[in-house]
Amino acid sequence: MTPITLIALLIGVPAFLLLTYVFIHGSAGLRHYILTRVGLTLPMVFILATLVFFVMRVLPGDPVSSALGPKGTPEMLARIRTQLGLNDPLIVQYSRFLGDMVTLHFGNSLMGGHRPIVDEMSERFPATLELVIPASIFALVIGIWGGTLAASRRKRATDYALRIYSVIIYSLPIFWLGLMLQLLFGVQLNILPISGRIDPVIGTTIKHITNLYAVDALITGNWPAFGSVAQHLVLPTITLGLILSGVFVRMTRINVIETLQADYIAAARARGIREHVLVFGHALKNAMIPVITLIGLQVAILLAGAVLTETVFSWPGMGSYLVERISSRDYTAVQSVITVFALLVALISLAVDVVYSLVDPRVRY
Amino acid sequence: MTETQELPPEVAAEAPTWEAELQRVGFIRRIFMARRWYGADWWFVTISAVMVLGFIIVAMFPGLFAPHSPDDLVGPRFLAPGAHPDLPALILPSDSPDNELIDLAVPSDQPRPIVAVVQGVPTSGALNEQAQVIDNQIKNEPGGLRLRPRIERYATLEEALQAVVNGKATAAVVQSLEFEAISAQFPTLREGASITGERSTAGGFFLGTNDIGQDVLSRLLWGTRIALIIGFSSSLVALFLGVPLGLFAGFAGGSLDRSLSLVMDSLYAFPGLILAIAITAVLGPSMLNIIVAIAVLYIPTYYRIVRGQTLSVKEEVYVEAAKSIGARNLEILQKYIFPNVIPSVAIIFSVNVADAILTGAGLSFLGLGLPPTIADWGIDLARGQRFIQTAWWMITFPGLAIMLVVLAFSMMGEGLTEIFNPKLRER
Repeated sequence: MTPITLIALLIGVPAFLLLTYVFIHGSAGLRHYILTRVGLTLPMVFILATLVFFVMRVLPGDPVSSALGPKGTPEMLARIRTQLGLNDPLIVQYSRFLGDMVTLHFGNSLMGGHRPIVDEMSERFPATLELVIPASIFALVIGIWGGTLAASRRKRATDYALRIYSVIIYSLPIFWLGLMLQLLFGVQLNILPISGRIDPVIGTTIKHITNLYAVDALITGNWPAFGSVAQHLVLPTITLGLILSGVFVRMTRINVIETLQADYIAAARARGIREHVLVFGHALKNAMIPVITLIGLQVAILLAGAVLTETVFSWPGMGSYLVERISSRDYTAVQSVITVFALLVALISLAVDVVYSLVDPRVRY
Repeated sequence: MTETQELPPEVAAEAPTWEAELQRVGFIRRIFMARRWYGADWWFVTISAVMVLGFIIVAMFPGLFAPHSPDDLVGPRFLAPGAHPDLPALILPSDSPDNELIDLAVPSDQPRPIVAVVQGVPTSGALNEQAQVIDNQIKNEPGGLRLRPRIERYATLEEALQAVVNGKATAAVVQSLEFEAISAQFPTLREGASITGERSTAGGFFLGTNDIGQDVLSRLLWGTRIALIIGFSSSLVALFLGVPLGLFAGFAGGSLDRSLSLVMDSLYAFPGLILAIAITAVLGPSMLNIIVAIAVLYIPTYYRIVRGQTLSVKEEVYVEAAKSIGARNLEILQKYIFPNVIPSVAIIFSVNVADAILTGAGLSFLGLGLPPTIADWGIDLARGQRFIQTAWWMITFPGLAIMLVVLAFSMMGEGLTEIFNPKLRER
């Protein structure tokens, strides 16, 4: 079992169970809604994947000659092109591509070695997950706390300070933030590593089970490896997390403010409930529903941020994979990565909508 | 005297005083008076508007502010900000009309100029070589000028400089940093050009130089132009496509609206940068292509907002009234719906320019946006990353510039949103 199937199962099975549960127990309207959403999501991914396929074929430059380099003879070139099926008619290539996408096999890389894309992705995808998950948690903690604080001190110094914080964070180019952190902690103070996922020497001792290095090190009890992974994670996590936190502060603030203006808050205040309990207990709980949906929609920012963060920190994830393969014209890899990204975005927004309809009893379809 | 006094007393008591005040002042004064009820948001908008104006001026006339050309190799490599390059420089009396080595050339019948150097440093060799080169260039020209300086060696730096002060030597050639360290002792001397001529040694470089000796500050200022061109033109293209589409879809409704919204939503949900990467990868690196790629990303932003507003305005009573007296659809769109959409479009535009600048910088940082020779902030950052261990200034300043420009535009949008958004306003 490849790591990517493991991850797909870990995410996919609970999601499927949840969807089935909602489908069976939900109202007729909800059922209809879920069907429409699924019906819309799949064509969206299909359209995007098809676009990418044809667009990559129009690209000038040839993957085989760029992989062979100047040493490739025309005969070699022709032989490899035939082997890879690049000389087949476009329609044959397209149907093969669709088959590869549906079976989640993704075809073989056009680069030297011609490894299956699935194998390459099962190394790259966990790396991106390992970066994105802690970064999101970091951003959520700062965002929800900061946004609630700003809302409760509306139009006072704290509020303005936090609003300026979120505007400044929004204005920071993520790659520059990464570079500055590298400069401060990696070069000037020299306390944290600035590139890669793990120390190359310690990296040889790790057992590749899920390819989430932190998890692998934990399962096997490999403490030096875990320490090294944690050290390498600090700077990329802070970079990506800080950028996301700005948006979260802003969204939480607006929603808590709106909730604080509701009548039941005024009623609770009239009953003498302390302001702190009022804000963090009563208002935040209800404001969280729209916040969670909005946060779900930030997947786009998260993925775009991940591409830049991975490039800055030489993090071998999906984003840096995409950038590398675009420059070497590896069609198969590029279209696979973009399809996977599209699938992720579509699935997460679907999941968020379904969860929203479950959590908020006012939403009826 | 004032209007309030002319009003009947019962009306005057009801009208808030600020409304009466507002009627008497002009537009500019109104903007100033707005400080009272918009508080910090007023300051957000004002400060950012001033910043935006400043950036626009720099972008229009970068040549006026930049000390050097962005592409010229004007200094030594990796010179730290403010540090002066350490080059063999010509030291002259303050009142001397000369500045460069070639100025020391004299007609062949006059005595050769005496140049003082310090013993045991390689300066004299460099001086001899350079003088030879210049001499070969000028000896065949009319005028009979020759440059054959007589080099006199002194034991210490002070003695060499003293010789110039006393008039024993026409000039001295010493390392510029050494001279700057003790220049206070010799108030009658000044530093001229370096003997190699092309590099200016006086003044230094405010933000340092990069890995091939270009001035970081000049590249920064010229980069403003690129950033603003990308930001403005891609947002404008997106606006001109997104707003009509949104108006049309929102007004027409039906299956056209639904299918257009589906396309726009999928475009909107997909990570913008990744889409832009794909588009620029196809179109190839150029300014126009980067603008097209970014514009495509932001069409849905305008579309969604305008469509939503159109949908809600369409149901207003005054639109219905207009319809009942026989206004045509185009007229309704133009006179009743479009004006309602303008404020939110203005806010999005401001934020959009900021976003487009960020995306453009991201693209060129990845090496996908612009040709690598252009003075662009993203390209400079990507270049500086390779020298992070040695040259902190190469990555610090371009990023700071991006941040400030984006900050100015997004702060303006933020302030305007808070002012215009009635949902968030108290009362």
